Amino acid sequence: MSKLSHYVETAGAILLAIIWISPLLFAFWAAFHSTSDAVNFNVTSAWTLDNFRIAWDGAPWLKYFLNTFLLVTIVLIGQFFFTTLAGFAFAKLEFPGKNFVFILVLMQLFILPEVLIVENYAMVSRLGLFDSLFGVGMPYMASAFGIFLMRQSFKSVPIELHEAARIEGCGLLGILWRVYVPLAKPTYLAYALVSVSTHWNNFLWPLIVTNSPDTRPLTVGLSIFGAPENGVDISIISAATMMSVAPLLIAFLVFQRQFVQAFLRSGIK
Amino acid sequence: MSTKPFVVLENVGKQWNGQLGVEGISLEIEEGSFVALLGPSGCGKSTSLRLLAGLEIPDQGKIFIDGADVTTSAASDRNLSMVFQSYALFPHLSVAENVIFGLKVRRVPKAERQEKMERALKITGLEGLEKRKPGELSGGQRQRVALARAIVAGQRLCLMDEPLSNLDAKLRSSVRKDIKKLQRDLGITVVYVTHDQTEAMSMADKVVLMKDGHIQQIGSPNDLYNHPQNTFVAEFIGAPAMALIDSNIINGIENGNRIGLRAENITIVPLGEGRLSCRVSEAEFLGSETLIGLEHEGTTGLNVLQPGLSMLPSGQKIDITFDDQDLHIFNSAGESITGQ
Repeated sequence: MSKLSHYVETAGAILLAIIWISPLLFAFWAAFHSTSDAVNFNVTSAWTLDNFRIAWDGAPWLKYFLNTFLLVTIVLIGQFFFTTLAGFAFAKLEFPGKNFVFILVLMQLFILPEVLIVENYAMVSRLGLFDSLFGVGMPYMASAFGIFLMRQSFKSVPIELHEAARIEGCGLLGILWRVYVPLAKPTYLAYALVSVSTHWNNFLWPLIVTNSPDTRPLTVGLSIFGAPENGVDISIISAATMMSVAPLLIAFLVFQRQFVQAFLRSGIK
Repeated sequence: MSTKPFVVLENVGKQWNGQLGVEGISLEIEEGSFVALLGPSGCGKSTSLRLLAGLEIPDQGKIFIDGADVTTSAASDRNLSMVFQSYALFPHLSVAENVIFGLKVRRVPKAERQEKMERALKITGLEGLEKRKPGELSGGQRQRVALARAIVAGQRLCLMDEPLSNLDAKLRSSVRKDIKKLQRDLGITVVYVTHDQTEAMSMADKVVLMKDGHIQQIGSPNDLYNHPQNTFVAEFIGAPAMALIDSNIINGIENGNRIGLRAENITIVPLGEGRLSCRVSEAEFLGSETLIGLEHEGTTGLNVLQPGLSMLPSGQKIDITFDDQDLHIFNSAGESITGQ
């Protein structure tokens, strides 16, 4: 009985994995074949790199890559800065209204970012950050999820370490930097993973707030490249897609073990 | 006031949400002495230490260290070091980095840091373990890292909060000697919190016995053992502790008082010749002697020590006697009136 359910579970897992990965596999297949071969699943047809050449010449990809990279970096740095400070305050400091403010932060978790797009758009425009990478990244910097994560992580640090650092002459920020931040390293790694993949793939907000090739990230560039008015060529779009997901995908494959461990460790702590 | 003691606590008090923490703590500590704060759990000894460390700020009273009023100073400004019960080693730092943590924070030049660290590691016998992380050390080694961190900066005052309670019994007695030697060699002042009277009695020059947030008695181990100021001290210090006897069951002593008597001052005599006849309740063989528990109405903790193996069946009747000069007399409030 348990053997049977074991097989059923395994089969289910494999089936789900195939369903999940099939679009990616198809894109991979299509990217290396001519359009007609790709659509007809002509298994014996020749592999080609022409699609990549055409796609690469079709848009300022290098600029897009750079923009996405900068955007992800700016968002991550901003998030680390704000979530660390806010998380520390919620975890270890006493101030009036702390619980109320923390509930407000948590409530932010229940609100879909898409709901706030109009308000954020108005705010970014008022700040004069429209069509800038900073403007794209800013609404995500004070992430409620990140603040919550850091708070939990900092809370698990034994108070003796805090006190020992105090006796040894550390100020509050010194303790945060020398004790809490190094101890929360697994949490930072896990959070960075989530944040980078989210913002690498984010589309709707950058589409709205960017207006020129100079600020467009990959996702927006790709959608414009693949828009129907440019003519739909499955193979070329697939090639462009493969290019834009490649860096993240390769990084995940290479650092798979570390990522999983980071999640495990931040959970156990 | 140049002869003012190194550390002075003046009528210090601290409450927790209206609940009593400690109250009326007045204490003077001479430089270079070893002072133990002793008491049952929840007696306020740790709170007193934390007030002294600056980890808590007192509600009332004043604290002076080396002549300076530090009552509201930050912990880092008090020029002291501390050893925590859990050692509080930073798990992400190596032994060497843990030891020089404070020096680094205080921006001591690198060469000096290195020199001090090597000295501290040598004193604590940790050479060769510099690169290890605390997680890779045994309990005793972690304890020594905590000690090394406490002495590396050369602070004259070192606070220890039950530093031996996480060690096994054998290691405890050897580390006890190490700490005492370290304190004497370096000439530092140590304030040591413990609930273990053996530690306090064997290490301290001065023992401060506390209960329910108040100091019960301050004195040398000899004072506490031989001249307890009240019945709490009498019943806390010593193993076995002092027996307490209602005075009305012994002839020749004023009624209404309680009498304290140590087991080693009691002798067993043939039936009919003793000052008190009681019943054996239990006998415990301790190795070099046998501890015999006795029962009699109006007594608590009555014991007698017999040399060697000398088991007596429980229920047996025996007579005991004692000298008047070995008696400690307490009034009805429990305060000592011996010698008055």
